[in-house]
Amino acid sequence: MNKKLVSPSLKRGLTFGIVMIIFVLIDLDVMVATMLSKLFGANVIRGSIPDVGFMVLFLILFGMFVGWSTSSDDAKPTTKLFQALVAGLTLGVVLGLFDLILNQLIVTGTDVRKYLAALAPESIRLFLFDQGAISPLLHLGLFTVASLLGSLMKILLKSESASRFFKGVKSGYQGLQAKAQANTPNWVKKYGKFLLFLLIGLLAFFPPRIWGSYNNYVVGLVGLYVILGIGLNIIVGLSGQLMLGFAAFFAMGAYSVALLNAPLPHGIMLGFWPSLLIGILMAVVAAVLLGLPVMGMRGDYLAIVTLGFGEIIRILLKSDLLTSFTGGPRGIQDIRGPTLFGQSFSSDIDYTYIILVVMVLSIFIYKRLERSRTGRAWLAVKEDTKVAQATGVNIMTNKLLALCLGAAFAGLAGGIFAARNQFTGPNDHQLMVSMNILSILIVGGVNSIPGIILGAFTLKGLPEILREIENYRLLVFGGLLVVMMISRPEGLWPATRPNIEKDEGNKLKENGAPGEGGLND
Amino acid sequence: MENEIRPPRRYKRSKLPKLVRWIFGLIVLSSFFWRLYTVIIVQNEYTPDIWVRLLISGLVIGGVYSLIAIGYTLVYGILRMINFAHGEVMMIGTFAGYFVFEATNAIRFTSSTGEITSLSNAQPFLSILLAFIVGMTVAATSGFLLEKIAYRPLRKAPRLIPLISAIGASIFLQNLAQLLFSPLVRDYKNPDLIARGQGWAITVAGARLTIPYTGVLTFSLSIILMFALYTMVRKSKLGKSMRAVAADKSTAALMGIDVNGVISQTFIISGMLAGAAGVMWGLHNGLVYYYVGFLPGIKAFTSAVLGGIGNIPGAMLGGMLLGMIESIGPTALGISYQLKDVLAFVILIIILIFRPSGILGEVLSEEKV
Amino acid sequence: MTDPIIQVKNVSKIFGGLTAVNQVDIEVPEKHIYSIIGPNGAGKTTLFNCISGFYFPEKGEVLFYGDPIQGLSTNLVAWLGISRTYQNIRLFNNLTAVENILIGLHRNLKTNWFEAIIHTKRFQKEESGSVKEALRLLDYVGLKGYGDFLAKNLPYGLQRRLEIGRALANQPKLLLLDEPTAGMNMNETAEATHFIKRLRDELGITIILIEHDMKVVMGISDRISVLDYGTKIAEGNAAEIQANPRVIEAYLGPGGAALSEKYKKQRLSNAKSN
Repeated sequence: MNKKLVSPSLKRGLTFGIVMIIFVLIDLDVMVATMLSKLFGANVIRGSIPDVGFMVLFLILFGMFVGWSTSSDDAKPTTKLFQALVAGLTLGVVLGLFDLILNQLIVTGTDVRKYLAALAPESIRLFLFDQGAISPLLHLGLFTVASLLGSLMKILLKSESASRFFKGVKSGYQGLQAKAQANTPNWVKKYGKFLLFLLIGLLAFFPPRIWGSYNNYVVGLVGLYVILGIGLNIIVGLSGQLMLGFAAFFAMGAYSVALLNAPLPHGIMLGFWPSLLIGILMAVVAAVLLGLPVMGMRGDYLAIVTLGFGEIIRILLKSDLLTSFTGGPRGIQDIRGPTLFGQSFSSDIDYTYIILVVMVLSIFIYKRLERSRTGRAWLAVKEDTKVAQATGVNIMTNKLLALCLGAAFAGLAGGIFAARNQFTGPNDHQLMVSMNILSILIVGGVNSIPGIILGAFTLKGLPEILREIENYRLLVFGGLLVVMMISRPEGLWPATRPNIEKDEGNKLKENGAPGEGGLND
Repeated sequence: MENEIRPPRRYKRSKLPKLVRWIFGLIVLSSFFWRLYTVIIVQNEYTPDIWVRLLISGLVIGGVYSLIAIGYTLVYGILRMINFAHGEVMMIGTFAGYFVFEATNAIRFTSSTGEITSLSNAQPFLSILLAFIVGMTVAATSGFLLEKIAYRPLRKAPRLIPLISAIGASIFLQNLAQLLFSPLVRDYKNPDLIARGQGWAITVAGARLTIPYTGVLTFSLSIILMFALYTMVRKSKLGKSMRAVAADKSTAALMGIDVNGVISQTFIISGMLAGAAGVMWGLHNGLVYYYVGFLPGIKAFTSAVLGGIGNIPGAMLGGMLLGMIESIGPTALGISYQLKDVLAFVILIIILIFRPSGILGEVLSEEKV
Repeated sequence: MTDPIIQVKNVSKIFGGLTAVNQVDIEVPEKHIYSIIGPNGAGKTTLFNCISGFYFPEKGEVLFYGDPIQGLSTNLVAWLGISRTYQNIRLFNNLTAVENILIGLHRNLKTNWFEAIIHTKRFQKEESGSVKEALRLLDYVGLKGYGDFLAKNLPYGLQRRLEIGRALANQPKLLLLDEPTAGMNMNETAEATHFIKRLRDELGITIILIEHDMKVVMGISDRISVLDYGTKIAEGNAAEIQANPRVIEAYLGPGGAALSEKYKKQRLSNAKSN
């Protein structure tokens, strides 16, 4: 029994030890400690070091996590504790050795920041709890105990009484839900949706006037990414064409508005709305130009080609060759904003309104498309292209349509983006932007509107709000993509297919008579 | 109702798309050759020494691309997936080599002649060897871990999912490097013996030309490694197992081959090659930073596709070809050097449209078709 | 005399060195149930693929009511009124059963994406009509109540029925069924057989069947063709095929016909002595 238990726990301790070492090397430990201190109300000045207590807290939580995950779900309590013990000890030993090295650095006063940029002496000291030579032992003890604690928590929470408790809570909640549904008066059911929208509309109107331009900026950013996410979803999620160069369409919209609305390089002042339309048109044209040649390509090749396409656009925008046309690497400044009924409509509040309205419109269009013959055709193409074609779906037309519509959304978002920032340049349209949008889709959940909103908020809104994370944002992105593909590929808020049969049944019940119409009139 | 929907009876498979493609291709090809003619023959502002210089640098960069391309092609042949993070494995190799040279440069001692010198300069061959060994080992380990963590759990998933995981891994590794080592662009400290830019001086058509030491090192090492790999795949037991797993995974398993082991070893080998390429890149180009693997990665993938994915000689050929095109192309076509990447991407797109199986043809597993 | 619904004239399909289908001639009159049988690897599915547009035959023609259709893309073949099912069930797995059938209705619907967005009256009418039709077909193939199940979550037998439902949505004149009773037990097979007959009798659909279950084949086929190694070795009604020694040898191997005779005589003599 021993060998089989010891080995995986040992490995786990080792792995997590290395993970923690990497955390220290990228200063993530200090970041988390800072965030924890913020959580507990401490007023943190930028760049300062948090209290030691929070570092201790972080390490304890980490240790508990290790203990929790090492304890197998179906093992006896004593076994669980044993596993956690081994893992915790290993973790402690690994980090203890690491501490010895760190201590040496402090003692000799070596500054390694030439190579390991994040390893400032203060950070090292904080990690060592400022206890110098005895910190290895402290860490060893801390991690072992924390690991055992984690295991203990698992024992408690997975025990019989605990699961009974949770089940009780869940059924109680479900009961309440059912009761509420049964008791809602009819008028709420009929007009509820309408009232909800009215409420949301009102809620959306006032806050932008109150909460300051920074929040408007963040909300606007999230909104734009929702629109982008919807566009990409039509291409990737509905019609199944993996597109890695989506930023190219975004660039089409942005640059159209920019080039037609700024003093340099052309001095045309066409006005926001017409140039926005032109931007959408340009994006669609680009989609057709990309789509026609690549019609028959298989998935992974298509991904690379679209990536290449996006990069080509970016390099061309940046090149000296086309500077006289595109403004070159410096981009385009002083882009004029929209006007409404003659008045300038380009304050941050106004932009927030525009973005919110466009976002709602986009969601509306998406939902209509999804639940239509076209939407189903796309999904069929995604599921099984050959069979879809044999069932009567024209592959080429539908794929191209998806590309064009998705590109249109991107162009729209791009135009608004450029005007809002009053500036755009080649750096706004690099590969990372495409990857961001794809990540939003994947992490939030493909084909799911709540998922896209959640994804946009998590990947774009949250880092703006929690500034500390900003440096680590992409690291977490990348890691999240990998983790989600392995554990939850359907996303944080998975999509569900509509319940057509049930809805028909309900409709019949409500109307009391079979509806008219049918294919054979 | 049926009559309205039926299309006209004699409706043939439309030849139009193919026609459009060929016309498009013809236009591109003829404008391409016209431009070459104009620049090279008519304008004729380039002296032979310039072409020779470009040729040399093309061979050097081609060698690097070939090594990385072999890695892509091996993995695609076995797992039918694009190892998007392979460029980052090269980057890891570059960084590893950088640290070795920093270390050997920092170790100072007094030589027999009484001067103070660094290990790097006292024992240049040892330092270089060490850099390559460490670079290749670290990169190989990274490749191994990459497969184990990000790809193995997704072995049975539909194709899109491992690709996204690979993209995630690529982003993760890039940013890990950025956070660990900061976005600073660093220089390789070559031993003085093979300092960048130094080389053998020759005269071509009256003009002086330098054949760089680092270039010769890179090119010869690339050839040696490619040859070694090819022999290994053709002759050794591992090579046979790799080909078997690439052809049919489940049958190979039934024949007693440890499929997981073979796949791991494939990643290790491709990692080794990428690591070597990374050190070469550092020695020859001198720059090391977190993003250094991205473009070479894409270009190496283009090379692999150019030569025929899954096909090892194809990857070698494709790498060399792409290196030459990239080096000589912009000058020959009279366009800015900035646009050399655009050239590479355009070639990729054209190949994938007109001949997706590559020059030497694809070699792929039967399953998953 | 009207053209037969399908004429396969001297069709050959060659893959590199392998001739999968070798100069096969088949004629199927309207409203017939025509079976194609033969050992595994005989080229039956390949022949289906040639008829339905998945493959382009190297030689020969496929005529639908006298018009050549070989080489047409598969969605045009569907437009003409030919539907098929697949040997290893190819449903749209992550869509619900109703949605699978709705896609089968695709060619019959006319509204486009723009009308979908603005919900014109025409769109709404067509959409609700198609939903009703899909539900009707769902019921017809016996899947009532399973409409909102994802296709991949349906039990095997129901998946087969759904595939037929999707094929029927196209209002086909010709239905190609590829091993419709594979994996079914005796009861399910009997039901399926009965159902196939209904399709022909009630809806007037011509059916071409690839089958391995001889009870099914002999039970409902008007005419049978036998393929072996890509060549048609026999054609006739059930009795003729059963008695044909070449057919028996194709299934039992060389010497099979003699063996079969021997056992037949043995059985007869046993029956006599008892």
